[in-house]
Amino acid sequence: MDKSLNWKIGLIIAVIALSIWMLYPPKDKINLGLDLKGGMHLVLEVETDAAITIQSDMSVTQLRSLFKDGSIKYDKINRKGFDKIEITGTLLDDERKIKDILDDDFRDWTYTFGGNLIGVTLRPNIEQQLRDQSVDQALETIRNRVDEFGVAEPTIQKEGLAGDKILVELPGIDNPERVKSLIKSTAMLEFRSVVSGPFLTEEAALKDYNGQLPEDAEIVKTNPRRLDKGFYVLKAATVVPGNNLKSARRAQDEYGAPAVGFSFNSQGAAQFEKFTAANIGKQLSIVLDDRIESVATIQDVISGDGIIHGRFTVDEVDDIVLVLRSGALPAPLKYIEERTIGPSLGTDSIRKGLTACLMGLFLVVTFMLVYYRAAGINSVVALALNMLILMGAMASFRATLSLPGIAGIILSIGMAVDANVLIFERIREELRAGKSPKSAIDAGFKKAFWTIFDSNLTTVISAVFLFQFGTGPIKGFAVTLIIGIAASMFTAIWVSRVIFDLTYGRRKKMTKLSI
Amino acid sequence: MNIFKHDTNIKFINKMYILFVVSGLVIASGIFLFFTRGFRLGIDFSGGTLVEVSFQKNTTIPQLRKMLDEAKLGDAQVTRIGSENKFFIKTMASLKKSNLNPAVKMQEIEEYEIVAREMRNGMMDDAERSQAAAGKIDLNNTAEGEIARFLRDKGLGDEDAQASASLIINQRKSSTAGVVTDFAQLEKAGIKHRVMAILRDSTFLSKFTFLSVEFVGPQVGKDLRLKATLACIWALIGMLVYIAFRFKFLYGLSGILTLVHDVLVTCTFLLLFKIEVSLQVIAAILTLVGYSINDTIVIFDRLRDNLKIMRKENLGEILDKSINQTLSRTIITSLTVFLTVVALFFFGGEVIHPFAFTMLVGVITGTYSSIYQSCAWLKVWEKYLLKRKKS
Repeated sequence: MDKSLNWKIGLIIAVIALSIWMLYPPKDKINLGLDLKGGMHLVLEVETDAAITIQSDMSVTQLRSLFKDGSIKYDKINRKGFDKIEITGTLLDDERKIKDILDDDFRDWTYTFGGNLIGVTLRPNIEQQLRDQSVDQALETIRNRVDEFGVAEPTIQKEGLAGDKILVELPGIDNPERVKSLIKSTAMLEFRSVVSGPFLTEEAALKDYNGQLPEDAEIVKTNPRRLDKGFYVLKAATVVPGNNLKSARRAQDEYGAPAVGFSFNSQGAAQFEKFTAANIGKQLSIVLDDRIESVATIQDVISGDGIIHGRFTVDEVDDIVLVLRSGALPAPLKYIEERTIGPSLGTDSIRKGLTACLMGLFLVVTFMLVYYRAAGINSVVALALNMLILMGAMASFRATLSLPGIAGIILSIGMAVDANVLIFERIREELRAGKSPKSAIDAGFKKAFWTIFDSNLTTVISAVFLFQFGTGPIKGFAVTLIIGIAASMFTAIWVSRVIFDLTYGRRKKMTKLSI
Repeated sequence: MNIFKHDTNIKFINKMYILFVVSGLVIASGIFLFFTRGFRLGIDFSGGTLVEVSFQKNTTIPQLRKMLDEAKLGDAQVTRIGSENKFFIKTMASLKKSNLNPAVKMQEIEEYEIVAREMRNGMMDDAERSQAAAGKIDLNNTAEGEIARFLRDKGLGDEDAQASASLIINQRKSSTAGVVTDFAQLEKAGIKHRVMAILRDSTFLSKFTFLSVEFVGPQVGKDLRLKATLACIWALIGMLVYIAFRFKFLYGLSGILTLVHDVLVTCTFLLLFKIEVSLQVIAAILTLVGYSINDTIVIFDRLRDNLKIMRKENLGEILDKSINQTLSRTIITSLTVFLTVVALFFFGGEVIHPFAFTMLVGVITGTYSSIYQSCAWLKVWEKYLLKRKKS
C-alpha cells in the first residue's frame, strides 16, 4: 500500500478517536436546550438605587473639587439618601459663585437655598433614565457572561412593569452555583492605596484612630480566601477606576501560581504610572466588589500591565477574568426567584421535529446512493464522519442543542454533501473527456479543490464577521457554521479521497468507475 | 444516473433583462409590504406576558394547551415548574413598544391585564364560567383588596371585610397549590358565619390560581437588533473583499448583489405569508447569507477558467457556457439541501415550520439567482462600466 496513505488513514482514525472522546459519554457532554429539556428559571432584581447612589457619590466628589478650585468655603458636602446632596456651612457672599457652578455643571440636578443648607436633588426624569440605563447595561453584561461561560441559547429578558427585574433562563448545566455567582458578581475592580493595616477586627482598626477615621478613608474587609487578616483602612478614592481596564487574562505569578493578569487603557496606564511613581515603597490594595483581593508593596513604576496575585485556584482565576472581561455591573443584583422548569416543547413537537430531521437525512443519503452509486457510499461514509466530528466539536464547545439547532445540523449535512457533489461531477466531466478512471479521480479532486475552497472560505469569512460583531445567539450560530464547514472540507476532500484510493488504488487495471 | 444532459446549451444571458424586471418587481412588492404591513414579529422581538399558574389537580401540558387554544392563545409557550402542577405561560400580548411615555404605559397595564383575564377565562370549566358570567367573583383569582371591596359592597363593615379577605388570601397561600378547594376550608380558617353566607352565595372557587402575572420585555432588544444588522453588513463586506481578492472587484460586487437579492426576496415571502419572525427565522436568513454565495462562486470559478481558454467569444457566450457547464452541479448541490428542507417543512411540525419555510424560499431563490442573476450582473458591468477586459 502507498506509504502516504498510511498516515492519512492514521490522521482520520485520530480525528475519529478525538471526536468520540469529546462526545463520550454523550449524556453528560451534550447539553439539551431549554426547549428539549428545560433548565433554570432565575429572576434577578437590579438594585437601581445603588446605581443612583454611585452617581450621587461621584457628584459629591466633583462638587468638593469644584468648591476647592473656586475657593468656596464650606463645612460639609454629603450625600443624603441616594439622590440628594446637602451642602452646609457656605458663606452668603459665595452664593452667586455656587449658583454658577450648579447651573453650569449640575444641569441634571435641581437645587434649593435654605438658610445654612443647600439641597441639591437629581431631576426625576434623569433619575429614571439612569435607572433604565443601569438595567439595560446589567442585561448586556449578564448576556456577555453567560455567552462566555459557554451556555448557548439562554433566555435573557426584562421582567416587570417597573422594568428593574431581569429574567434569565439557562438550559440544564452542571454547576448552577458557579454560573449564578458569575452572573451576580458586580466586577467592580478598584486600586486603592492602603492607609494602615492589616487589622484582625474592625474595632482594632477604629481604635488605631481613636474611633474617628479620617474623612477620606474607610475600613474595607478582605476576602478571607486570599488574606489571613480581615481588615484594612484604605483611602476612599480609587487610584484608577475599574472602567479603565482594557483586558484581563489568566496569568501566573513568579512562583507559577495562578494569577489574574490585566492591562489598562492608555488613560488608566498614565494615571497608574503617575501614582506608582509617587508612591514607591507604599502599599497598594486591589479591591474587587468591595473585598480586598490582594495587597502589595509598590516596588517600581507600573504603567500598562500588571497581575493580581493571591491564593487563587485556576477556576477562581478563570471566573475573575471572565467577569472583568464582561465589564462591571452598574448596580448590584439580587436573586429574587429561582425555579427548575421543564421543557418548553411538548413531547409531540419534539418527536415530530426529530422525525423530520431523520427523514431529511434519509432523503439525502438515498439520493447520493441512487445518483452516484458506489461513489455515493463513499460520500455517505464521509457524511457519517462529518456528523461525528460536528457533534464532538460542539460537545467540546459546551454547545447546547435545541430543536432548531438539530434542524440546523441536518441542514448542514445537506450542505456538506455539496463538496462531494462538486468533486463527483468534476470526475464525471473528466471521464467524459476520455480520461482513465484513475486520472479522472485525480484530476477531479485537484480541480474541484479550489472551487470548494473558495466557496467555503467565503462562507467562513461571513461567519467570522458574524462572530466578531454579533452577540448572543448570532455568535453561537457562527461557531456552528465554521465547525460545520471545517468538518465538511475535511471529510469531503480528505476522507473521501482516501476511500477512493483504498478501493481503487490497489487494482492494477481499472476500466470502470461507479459514479 | 444522470438528471441532466451534460451538454446543455441554454441561453441564460438573453433573458437577463426580463428576469431583472421580475426580481425587481418581487423586491418592490416586498418593500411595499414592509411599509404597509411590516413583519409579524414573534415573542423574541416583542415581549409579552409571563403568567405563573397553579392547578389544584394533576394537569398535563397538552391539557393546558387545549385550554389556551380555547382562549385563542395557542402560540403561547408553556413550561412546567419543577415537578409540581405549576406552569409558566409566556404569551405575546400586544405590547410592542417598550419605550413609551408614562401616560401610554397606563394603557399597557390594561392590555396586559386583559391578556390575563382572557387566559383565566380559557382555563375555567363550563360551570365556573357560568358562575363568573353571573357576576360571582373567583376567590382563587382575586386580589386581597378587591375581595375586601367586594365584601364591603355586600354590606360588611370595613374591619370585617378586610379581616375576611386576608383570611382567604392566607388560606390560599398555606396550601401547596395556592388554591382554596372548598368553602369548608374557609369556615375552618375562622371566617364568620355571616361572611360565609355571602361567600357561598356570591363567590366561587375555581380549581386554579394565577400566582403571578408579569410583563416581560423582548429577548432581542433594540441593541441586539442593531448589532445583528451591523454584523450582517460586515459579513457582506468581508465576502466582497475576499471575492474581489480571489477574482475581481466586479465579481465580488455581483456576488454580493445576488446575495442581497436572495435575502430581499426571502423577506418578501416572509411578509407575504405573514410568517412570524423569530430568532430561528433570523438564523435561517443568516444561513442563507453564508450558503447562497456558494453556487455563485462555483460558476465564477468556472468562468475564470473559461475566460483563459475562450479568447474569441464575447462575454455573453462565455457566461452562458460557464453557467451551462456548472448547471448540473448548481442544481444537484441545491437539491440535496432542498431535500432536507422539504423534509423539515412537511414533517417538522409547527416548531420548525418558520425556519423550514424561510430556508425553502431561500434555497429556491438562491439557486435561481446564482444561475440567472450573478452572471447577468457581470454582463451589465461590461456594457455600462468598461470596455471588454480581455487582453
